[in-house]
Amino acid sequence: MIDNKPPYLGFGLGLRPEHYQEILSGEPNVDWFEVLSENYMIPGGQPLRILDQICDRYPVVMHGVSLSIASTAPLDLDYLTGLKALADRVNPKWISDHLCWTGVHGVNLHDLLPIPYTEEALEHVVKRVGRVQDFLGRRLTLENVSSYVTFNESEMTEWEFVSEVAKRADCWLLFDVNNVYVSAFNHGFSSSDFLHGVPRDRVVQFHIAGHSHEETHIIDTHDHPVCSEVWDFYRQAVAHFGPVSTMIERDDNIPPLAELLGELDHARKIAREVQKSSQVIAAE
Amino acid sequence: MASLKDLQARFQAGIVSGNDDVLDDVKDSERENRRVLFGVYRNAYVLRLAEILSNDYEITHGYVGDEFFDKLARAYIAAHPSDKKNARWFGRHLPDFARKTEPFSGHREIAELAALEKALADAFDGPDANPVTIEELAAIPPEDWSNLVFTPHPTTIRLSCITNAADIWQALNNDNPPPEAFKLPEGQTVLVWRHDLTSHFRPFDAEEAMMWIEASKGVRFGVLCEMVATFAGADDAEVRAATYLKNWIDTGMLACVSLDSEASDLVLGTAH
Repeated sequence: MIDNKPPYLGFGLGLRPEHYQEILSGEPNVDWFEVLSENYMIPGGQPLRILDQICDRYPVVMHGVSLSIASTAPLDLDYLTGLKALADRVNPKWISDHLCWTGVHGVNLHDLLPIPYTEEALEHVVKRVGRVQDFLGRRLTLENVSSYVTFNESEMTEWEFVSEVAKRADCWLLFDVNNVYVSAFNHGFSSSDFLHGVPRDRVVQFHIAGHSHEETHIIDTHDHPVCSEVWDFYRQAVAHFGPVSTMIERDDNIPPLAELLGELDHARKIAREVQKSSQVIAAE
Repeated sequence: MASLKDLQARFQAGIVSGNDDVLDDVKDSERENRRVLFGVYRNAYVLRLAEILSNDYEITHGYVGDEFFDKLARAYIAAHPSDKKNARWFGRHLPDFARKTEPFSGHREIAELAALEKALADAFDGPDANPVTIEELAAIPPEDWSNLVFTPHPTTIRLSCITNAADIWQALNNDNPPPEAFKLPEGQTVLVWRHDLTSHFRPFDAEEAMMWIEASKGVRFGVLCEMVATFAGADDAEVRAATYLKNWIDTGMLACVSLDSEASDLVLGTAH
């Protein structure tokens, strides 16, 4: 067992401005919120005021999109300083970002770009995670991304790469159920192999989201409800990893809060069913 | 590292410049060829940045329409690749770009509308500071007022407009048809700031604009009154200056009112 594993938080949502009022004026059945770090890396004003109110009421985790941990560009110390300052304000249960890169040569493409799964890239990422963790004074949580291409020079599978990063850099993992499903379809691997290839004791969070199916490939758009195939894979993930803090992630085409609460209830129901059946198996 | 570095450079060039070298680095999948698969990144790049601009410049987009805004967005994306981690700042050069670049520069109100939207957004999440209250001002003895100096609220942004962009913004924001764009005979100063967590803007007349600009430089109230007197007549100049000041305070435009330290020393010195 790894020391200081973050607590299990239950079932959460991504905090989106469209729902601020409803969340603060009611008591929606949400156990915790994930906030997009960059949205609050701003000087002041209403967003930070609301963030403070949310932090007073709920456990919060921070989720970034531009750490660019796998980039060969130098680490952006301004960004890290801003991230640390926000963490001091929020006191998050953990800080996550993506196992990807977002640009080189001073350019940011604002996308989560894929890594060749090579020993060279692995060493590079592990070194960078170590430096970021030293700077932040805490372990990072890294999320597997959806990808659309594979590289000729890759020397290992994605899950081998992800696992090695987690072990060698001593960081946590955010297992994005939808991203594994999307990448498995796009690259023709078994999502179950990915699931079983990742160290269980490193996984601290699940993301569940929707996507867009383009027949020959799937694009990770986060603008649709979660589909039945992803729910099925979530069921497998809960059975394999046990209780893991779970979150519905919707980034675009944001529906009313009630719709997301409905999806969250569905996740709760699946987790309960899995727990019950595992108890039955244990009793037998 | 050279290999990863080179690969990332090719990948980025493939997205930003449409260079195809990267296609030699990636594989076809069982169902799709690599050009289509890599195209997901290429398409997402422009679409995502254009969406960021459209969200940040919603009123400007509404004013020029989809086709023209798309042209503006694509030209801007090509000229200003994002150099910030936070997408919040990607569109910050758009007003300047629209002002300097054909064919957008031929319609000056576009750049001014964009500048107004940018200022409203910057004020919205700009630095926090408690605004000065009228009670704080009242606590300063009247004999010291001539030595008062003022610090604008850190969210204040002063815009100089030569078109009726502020009126166009107002109409579009109220879902009304915008007035015809035209050049103002003497230009207009518009002040943008945040008060009670909401962004506001207000056009100043020429005298108030002059006094605001001088006050922002740290000019003492006594001197500001003299300037107002010179600007539009000595009669009731102090009343006009005090009225502007009261309005600035009532609407949260000032973060600090203090006694000019040099002047105070001088007063103290004279008293001795």
